[in-house]
Amino acid sequence: MNADRELKIVFTGPMGAGKTTAIRAISDAPPVSTEVANTDQATVAKATTTVALDYGQLLLEDGTAVSLYGTPGQERFSFMWEILCRGAIGVVLLIDGSTPTAREDLRTYAEAFRRINPHQPFVIGVGRVPGDEPVLDEYARALAARGIVAPVFGVDVRNREDVLLLIETLLCVLEAQTFEAANADH
Amino acid sequence: MQTTSQRFDANITELARQQLEAFVAATSGVTLAVLTSGDGFEIAAHPRGLPTVQRLAAMSSSLQALSEAMVQEAGLVRIRNLIIESDGGTVIVLGIGNVTPRLSLTVVASGDEILGRLLWASRECSAALERRLLLSNV
Repeated sequence: MNADRELKIVFTGPMGAGKTTAIRAISDAPPVSTEVANTDQATVAKATTTVALDYGQLLLEDGTAVSLYGTPGQERFSFMWEILCRGAIGVVLLIDGSTPTAREDLRTYAEAFRRINPHQPFVIGVGRVPGDEPVLDEYARALAARGIVAPVFGVDVRNREDVLLLIETLLCVLEAQTFEAANADH
Repeated sequence: MQTTSQRFDANITELARQQLEAFVAATSGVTLAVLTSGDGFEIAAHPRGLPTVQRLAAMSSSLQALSEAMVQEAGLVRIRNLIIESDGGTVIVLGIGNVTPRLSLTVVASGDEILGRLLWASRECSAALERRLLLSNV
């Protein structure tokens, strides 16, 4: 892939949130997948689960090549979270808004990835949002109360445009941070 | 969180544990053997109760899945086993034949073990586990 610049973005979130689907939706080439049979149906009734990573590539219109890394969702694979976050410019956190644990998942994963890299910007994508938008504001406020400011969107991870919105927002947040940092230096 | 013995059939975990115990006893240098589900759960281990076993089980499944993806990407057909050599010893991860869902055997050995002999013994153990687990209708 010939590119003017290269960036790495990590997709994370609990099992079943749609990380593999999101990467598949936007990757220019068929992504590398490490899905295996899920033996833990009691936790999430899903046929397969990612145990190492997903990897896809996306070339943006401005010539930026984005490497897309998806993490496994389960906490027992948290060693992969740290490995995959190395060198990433930001994190896309996906949450399944229809599960009873959605708020807890949001807090758990946001805090875990904030610990891994306190300066990495992230953006939240909430799938299967019940009802209308107010729940997204509630999610954003809950995060802000914990000192984490991140844009929150309702998304359908099967929809390429929705996932691209998350990527573009993350790049805007990064740009704003870079601008603020440059101004602070002067 | 469920423990290993709660998640998998007790008879199967006991059969596997006996096989692993015999393997460790018969193979010099082996310090740990773990049978792991494809999605990273410990099914049985010898010695039992080591604090690192659950994390090693998860890492084994990640490494095996990643190795398979790499082998496919390189057009090398099918992975046989994964060997990690370090200053302190060797780790081998092998798939367990035709058992479904997929299982793997992880073997940790101290530094002075000869790799060829370790690999041969690990494959024998893997084959024995496959026979016993298939007979038990895993």
